[in-house]
Amino acid sequence: MKKAFTVAKWEFFEKIKSKAFIISLFLTPAIIILFSVLPTLLATKESDSTKAVGILDLTQKYFSEYKSEIEQYKIGGNFPAYAILNNYKEDLSSDSLIKHADQMVIESRIDGYILIRQDAEDSIKVEYRSKSIGNFQDVARFEEAFNNLRIKRKLIEENANPALVEFIKNKVNVNQIKIEKPGEEGKSGFEPVFFSSIIFILLLMMMIIYSGQMLVRSMLEEKSNRLIEILISSCTPKDLLFGKVFGLSALGLTQIIVWLIIGISLIGAALIPMNAFENIHLIFIYFILGFVFYTTLFVGVGSIVSTEQEAQQITSYLSLLLVLPTVFIISALQNPESTIIKVLSYIPFTLPSVMILRVNVSPIPLWEIAATFLIMILSIIIVVNVSAKIFRFGILYYGKMPTLNEIKSWLKE
Amino acid sequence: MLEVKNLVKTYGNITAVNNLSFTAKPGKIFGMLGPNGAGKTTTIRTILNIIKPNSGEVLLNQRAVTKDLFNSIGYLPEERGLYKKSKVNDVITYLANLKGMHGHTIKAELDKWLKKLEIPHYKERKIEELSKGNQQKIQFISAVIHNPLLLILDEPFSGFDPINQQLIKDVILDLLDNGKIIILSTHQMDTAEKLCSEILLINEGKEVLSGELSEIKKKFGGNHVKFGYEGDIRFLNEMDEVISFDIYSNTAEVHLKDEVKPELFLKKIIEKVSIKHFSVIEPTLNKIFIDSIKNQKI
Repeated sequence: MKKAFTVAKWEFFEKIKSKAFIISLFLTPAIIILFSVLPTLLATKESDSTKAVGILDLTQKYFSEYKSEIEQYKIGGNFPAYAILNNYKEDLSSDSLIKHADQMVIESRIDGYILIRQDAEDSIKVEYRSKSIGNFQDVARFEEAFNNLRIKRKLIEENANPALVEFIKNKVNVNQIKIEKPGEEGKSGFEPVFFSSIIFILLLMMMIIYSGQMLVRSMLEEKSNRLIEILISSCTPKDLLFGKVFGLSALGLTQIIVWLIIGISLIGAALIPMNAFENIHLIFIYFILGFVFYTTLFVGVGSIVSTEQEAQQITSYLSLLLVLPTVFIISALQNPESTIIKVLSYIPFTLPSVMILRVNVSPIPLWEIAATFLIMILSIIIVVNVSAKIFRFGILYYGKMPTLNEIKSWLKE
Repeated sequence: MLEVKNLVKTYGNITAVNNLSFTAKPGKIFGMLGPNGAGKTTTIRTILNIIKPNSGEVLLNQRAVTKDLFNSIGYLPEERGLYKKSKVNDVITYLANLKGMHGHTIKAELDKWLKKLEIPHYKERKIEELSKGNQQKIQFISAVIHNPLLLILDEPFSGFDPINQQLIKDVILDLLDNGKIIILSTHQMDTAEKLCSEILLINEGKEVLSGELSEIKKKFGGNHVKFGYEGDIRFLNEMDEVISFDIYSNTAEVHLKDEVKPELFLKKIIEKVSIKHFSVIEPTLNKIFIDSIKNQKI
């Protein structure tokens, strides 16, 4: 075991000194932030300039009131969010009016326009016509404004008390609150849960894939220059395998710690919500278990390759197993109690990432946490033994990849 | 003393090592010779406990070679290679650590060895910045730095220029004085001839010849002459006195029938070509090697 520690120390310090590692240490969180945090920021950020929006009211009943309704939306320092333009002209047909307004949008003279018309059944139809259809916030506001207007009109028509109008206008929204313990509120809303889960799963995956590749490549180097013969005439294959797994796990831990520091400073900068780091202790343990499991697997399976191409094939197959659970992220968030998610959280290959997800979504009974830990630890012990056997033969195996039958015979020895 | 007894190793249908036995004594260099694919590397790997034999045993001073003895063994593999991106100092320290050495002992020994091999200024350089010969020296150091009881050298001279070959030779002979058991595996017969006192010649996993080199030469015996000449000596083919001959550039080594007197043979050939020098010789190891392997094939 002492020699395993020597191997671990070597693997750790040689890799941590490499430029590739230092770059990935900072590049990975940068990429993750770019892909997961930035879109949310952009999506929720209010636009900071007044938009020119036209209204083409073919019914000629709503324009002025609708205009004042929409103009109630403000940005920043009390500027109206929308500058309203009347697209209606008396002496033109509706078709040519629409055409003319469309033309204005295409020429970017206005951002878009709201078309109000009566359809065959005498009901009102409202469209927001613009070059892009992605702006949910604008559409939601136009819809709210128009409905407010309709309700107000109807109430006044029915001679209702004007106070009633104000009362109806003040809608009540339903907020989603996640309960962690009685009386304790967790994070709310879909987005924070989604993004904090996905950040950890992405981190786990990138780390495993990255260090797996690093591991397989370094073993390939040792194999092709026969350093491996010197190594295993100095220590047992098991020492070597443990050493490699320990060394890389220590490297992984260092990485997580650096990333956590980056994460915490981002909370400081209010870029990530604090509650993304709830349950961090559980996530941390699943993270480490998953990392050790896959690293051991990589050592065993990676030992059989003897060319760069084979190394790439093997690492991509293993990575595929790892990426599989991401398919279920959305469904896990919507229904964390579903059978498929339950099943996946007991299969060692998918367990870590699925559990990271579940821990984030809903509270998990203690027995289930204990059971998954146990499964993971048992699987690691099994994988260590299987990998050690494959490793012992694999590292001396050159030429074409061994067949499954050959590997079976190795396992029997 | 290293004892190898009835070693057998098969890979599927191929028998790489077939019932091999030998003993290597301390203070002597034991030469393991044989053509490519003879089973030398497999034998070495079995001694090192890298692979398990199908049967037979390997004993170092009466103890089976297991991980407890790893620290007493040094190994220089035939195919060389080290961590290219790492520093000389770091790599040797790591490998020495794995052999059970510690901090300051390593430092002292490393400095001593770097100086001995005339490369002290490369200590902080990366392996990949060193020439091939100097990389080999580093690997040599990693095989001997822990002062092993048993040292296995697989083609230690390949890749060295003549000056460095001499340097390494001297170092190996020095080690011998300390009572080490040294096994030298090589194709270079002239080196083996100069260094080894005992040899084992194997082919296709089987022993062909073994024993003290001087004994072998005596046993192999024969009537050998060597001469330098100018002209055409194809007539040797037709001479009854000749059993076999090898021609190097303007030098010939001839194996004569036992009853032929060298001086008579000289008289005969001197009429046909001009002779520059002529001497009666012992058979060279090279000759013994080639003849033994050829005979085995017939």
